Amino acid sequence: MKNLLEFNNVSYFYQTKESEVKALDDVSFNVKEKNFASLVGPSGCGKTTILSLIAGLLTPSSGEIILDGKPITKNDGRIGYMFQRDHLFEWRTIWQNIILGLEIQKQNKNAEKLKLAEDLLKKYDLYNFKNKKPRQLSGGMRQRVALIRTLVLEPALLLLDEPFSALDFQTRLKVCDDVYEIIKSEEKTALLVTHDISEALSMSDKIIILTKCPATVKENIELDFQEKTPLLKREDKEFGNYFEKIWRNLC
Amino acid sequence: MLKRNKNINFSKARVKYLKKQKTDKFLVLFWQIAIFIIFLGIWQLCADFGIIDPFFFSSPSRIVSTIIELANQNNLWIHIWTSLYETIIGFLLATIIGFLIAVLLWWSEKLRKIFEPYLIILNSLPKIALGPMIIFWVGSGTSATIVMCILICVIITTISMLNAFISCDNDKILLMKSMHANKFQIFYKLILPNALPEFVSVLKINVGMSWVGTIMGEYLSSKAGLGYLINYGSQILKLDIVMASITLLCILAAGMYFLVSPLEKRYKK
Repeated sequence: MKNLLEFNNVSYFYQTKESEVKALDDVSFNVKEKNFASLVGPSGCGKTTILSLIAGLLTPSSGEIILDGKPITKNDGRIGYMFQRDHLFEWRTIWQNIILGLEIQKQNKNAEKLKLAEDLLKKYDLYNFKNKKPRQLSGGMRQRVALIRTLVLEPALLLLDEPFSALDFQTRLKVCDDVYEIIKSEEKTALLVTHDISEALSMSDKIIILTKCPATVKENIELDFQEKTPLLKREDKEFGNYFEKIWRNLC
Repeated sequence: MLKRNKNINFSKARVKYLKKQKTDKFLVLFWQIAIFIIFLGIWQLCADFGIIDPFFFSSPSRIVSTIIELANQNNLWIHIWTSLYETIIGFLLATIIGFLIAVLLWWSEKLRKIFEPYLIILNSLPKIALGPMIIFWVGSGTSATIVMCILICVIITTISMLNAFISCDNDKILLMKSMHANKFQIFYKLILPNALPEFVSVLKINVGMSWVGTIMGEYLSSKAGLGYLINYGSQILKLDIVMASITLLCILAAGMYFLVSPLEKRYKK
């Protein structure tokens, strides 16, 4: 499969009052189409900087980022972003939340797109809640709505910025499974940022390990679990071995 | 859903709980009314038995008869209408102007930084100090009162709304940007609805503040209005007129407050 995202020798400096800080040092990695990759590293290692660069919210100081054969531009519309919290707008119904992106891009009269939104809601058991307000839904359902809100815009790449860290452990495992299933069945490419090794392991096809600030790529680990769901992966006997390997690399 | 079932389905504890809720609610209302009546009663009795001098302290019955007297003299309605008109115009203009300035300052961070010290100074300045100047600038009477009203409300409106705009979660803005929203869309789809509860609070505060502005303005210079009446009453030593005007003021301010407060129930959850 071809590379959907290529990060080629990217460095990034950010400016503070005191000095110039090097956040990324010659970082290179790639994500294959329809794959699920995770960036793992110690906290404060520039993971979020990488996501902001891919989303076009920041511009690299040197190097290039290629998405689907074309370089990333400022505010690139080809990216879907999922955050730590679901950030559903409380004053909007579930349906209105889901078509937020369509409204912004003036596509909310586009029958095809609306059909897609409706189909996604039906497929993932949220259709009965379309006229409810976010506060009437559970944490897991809210996170699913947030994902669908992103998918409606049909992004080439999904960026997940620790999307489960605000959930309690029980919900987290469940939502992890749900999100994984949705991303796989919609055949999306995703890049997850997390500091939770087992979460990265249970979701990904590939794990990219970063070092402390300035971030460099320490290792690429390809995982082979043969298409298991996150929960089943956690039970796989290889899971412990991988965990051990990553843990060593992080220290 | 339980609420809609009949009592038979309730456990004993539930029935007890519901009953207590009902009694509590009743007790609060009862005491609210009782305190009002007791207060008026004691006031009246004290005045009747000469414990307090009704010349200085008036009494409920004297207030009522003064109000009737003023109404019969035919000019009470003019005073009420003048004050009400000034307050409503001042309230609306101050809210709109303050809101627009807040939008402008949210829009441009540079502008915000430039104007920050001015806002702080203007906010701490007692606006009443500008009173004499206002009369020179816009003349005495209704327009001076409205200007005073606006000066008192506008800065606090700007500061509150600006804070509400700025306090919007950064990730939510990032989300809008990742969907390709322009600044205008970020404002009216996110920042504005997000600040709605704060806006309702500002409306409530402004109801009170605009009455302060109106009365101050009328003290300064006026030919009509409840503030004028209070001033007039104290000058001719008819304190009944003062107390009657204050009573009317209470009723009007409460009325305006209750017009705004349903908004709060709707938008503040």
